[in-house]
Amino acid sequence: MSSPAPSPSLFQRRLIFVGGKGGVGKSAVSAALASEFARRGFKTLWVTIEDHAFALGETRTRISGAPPLLTHLNIEASRAFEEYIGIKLGVAGLAKIFVGNKLVRYMAEAAPGLHDLVLLGKIWYERNNFERIVVDLPSTGYGLSMFQSPTNFARLFQGGPIQRDALAMLATLNDAAQTGHLVIALPEEMPLQEGLELKATLSSLFPNNPAALIVNRVFQGAPPALDRPNSGALFVSTIDQYLAHRMRAEAEHLSELRLKDPEFATLPYFDPPADMSASESQRMQNSLSQALGELL
Amino acid sequence: MSKRILISCGTGGVGKTTLSAALAIRAASLGQRVVVITIDPAKRLATSLGVETLGNTPTDLTERVRAAWPDQAPGSHPFHPDGQLWAIMPDIRETFEEFVRELAPDPATAQRVMSNSIFQIFSREFSGANEYMALERLYSLNKDERFDLIVLDTPPARNTVDFLEAPELLARFFEERLIKWLVLPANQIIAAGMKKALGVLERLTGRGFMTSLVEFAQALTQVQARFVTNLSRISDLLRAPNVGFVLVASPAPDLAREAQRFAQLLRTRHFRLHGLLINRSFKHFTPTPSASAAPHAAESVILALQKREVGAVHELERNAVPILTTIPELSRDIHSVEDLCHVALRLADCDDRLG
Repeated sequence: MSSPAPSPSLFQRRLIFVGGKGGVGKSAVSAALASEFARRGFKTLWVTIEDHAFALGETRTRISGAPPLLTHLNIEASRAFEEYIGIKLGVAGLAKIFVGNKLVRYMAEAAPGLHDLVLLGKIWYERNNFERIVVDLPSTGYGLSMFQSPTNFARLFQGGPIQRDALAMLATLNDAAQTGHLVIALPEEMPLQEGLELKATLSSLFPNNPAALIVNRVFQGAPPALDRPNSGALFVSTIDQYLAHRMRAEAEHLSELRLKDPEFATLPYFDPPADMSASESQRMQNSLSQALGELL
Repeated sequence: MSKRILISCGTGGVGKTTLSAALAIRAASLGQRVVVITIDPAKRLATSLGVETLGNTPTDLTERVRAAWPDQAPGSHPFHPDGQLWAIMPDIRETFEEFVRELAPDPATAQRVMSNSIFQIFSREFSGANEYMALERLYSLNKDERFDLIVLDTPPARNTVDFLEAPELLARFFEERLIKWLVLPANQIIAAGMKKALGVLERLTGRGFMTSLVEFAQALTQVQARFVTNLSRISDLLRAPNVGFVLVASPAPDLAREAQRFAQLLRTRHFRLHGLLINRSFKHFTPTPSASAAPHAAESVILALQKREVGAVHELERNAVPILTTIPELSRDIHSVEDLCHVALRLADCDDRLG
């Protein structure tokens, strides 16, 4: 692998954001990471953001562990906003007036930037209560609006506690000792390209704290032999034919990636999470630890 | 013949953009004059269609598609001479500004809104803006005589229902009561109360923001009434008999649940669900007969995915969620219009939804 980057191990950082486009496995990876932290004895929080499935209590929990070592929080913006106002204004009565005020409610829910700032603020405040926080970022906009809002707010809010918070959050996000930015991608052309773009965007947003890339769901082992020259057909009929094409394409994408941007790690394709046994779950966590160790 | 509208929804990473384009191509091949609206920031569709970029006005791709159509392939048909394919990728910012300009009573008001610092920073990010703008575009294209069918590829969402809920969220920002709060009323007592509330808010936000917000709100009152009218017209359009929704999903663990929730929400709001397009399916793949007993690691992943998919489909069938068709996982990425045409050939089961 490439030589180590001069920054703290991801395992030593308090706050890890896991981003990437939809369907790449952010939830599984962030959950495995959170579980791994808990296994190592850190009091850990796994954060999902406005995920309806959790709100309705439907998705099977992907984390292995329980409070106090491992807690799951699904942030809902309106509740987070009430808490934020309470903290900022410091006076419970005044906070109540605000919470009841429709103007404030609407601003919290619909006003762009403010919504995201509140979500980020909630996460940020929790760092006082947990030793490790792993955040499963939304895939829409890659969660970037959440990171861009502190910058916008610093510009827009001249003075006042919101600006102070925004600047402090920015500083934390830009600090490689405190925060890690992980981008998850798949070994497919478009997802990989988008993952690299996201990585570049994050690294320019946080120049002192560049993002790290993990390529997820890489098929393991040698590709089956192609039973006839590659016809370039889109549709094939057997599993082996599919894997023969797919695994070769993956290997090509990964070797191209090594030339462009060598500091990435890979994760194997595990059985789908819903069917994951406890031992599969542990295997994924072990692989994840290894992969993150390689990113050092 | 009345225009048909097909709206495809779904989370990110399921191939929604590809399938929306393939549906549009198929409809064109059958003789429809089709326009596909896509929000495609990664330029995926543009790349597949072999164009540098798709613009804010419809681009005619008919010749390109006609030339690439594989009429000799098994199960194919000749490309209908009347068929046309157009594509449009609305630039959200441009559309939003156009929208403000159109709704404002005069250029000066439009200018005030657009030069406001809040608008400038956040016009790209208004919650629901992308979704609302897509619907605005749909509404205006619905009146365009050039087309028989509009396919709307919605922006990818975390939750499939986000698209339907987003415009209402945006609407709340424009809601009359909100605007009234911000525009200081004539009544002195109420005005004093408002000033106090704003004063407290200023402790949080700093003075500049509140001033900007009030100015913005004052300018917005002018556009707000027309916005609300538009929104209700759009809502009516979405319920028209010629409008149908499809859900594109991949056979992931929560397929059944997601599809059910989506179907339920459409029912509640009186939208029409055509059904589900299951993309990236593994069900067609047959195991390779081999001498050894144990499948290797990669193959066992595929077998597990197949098993999961069977379970999900059973659950869908139990809950009477209509499955329009299932498209197999491709052996490689889509690179060209030809590739999209080959996918289009697999969508025969959707023909009666395409007009």
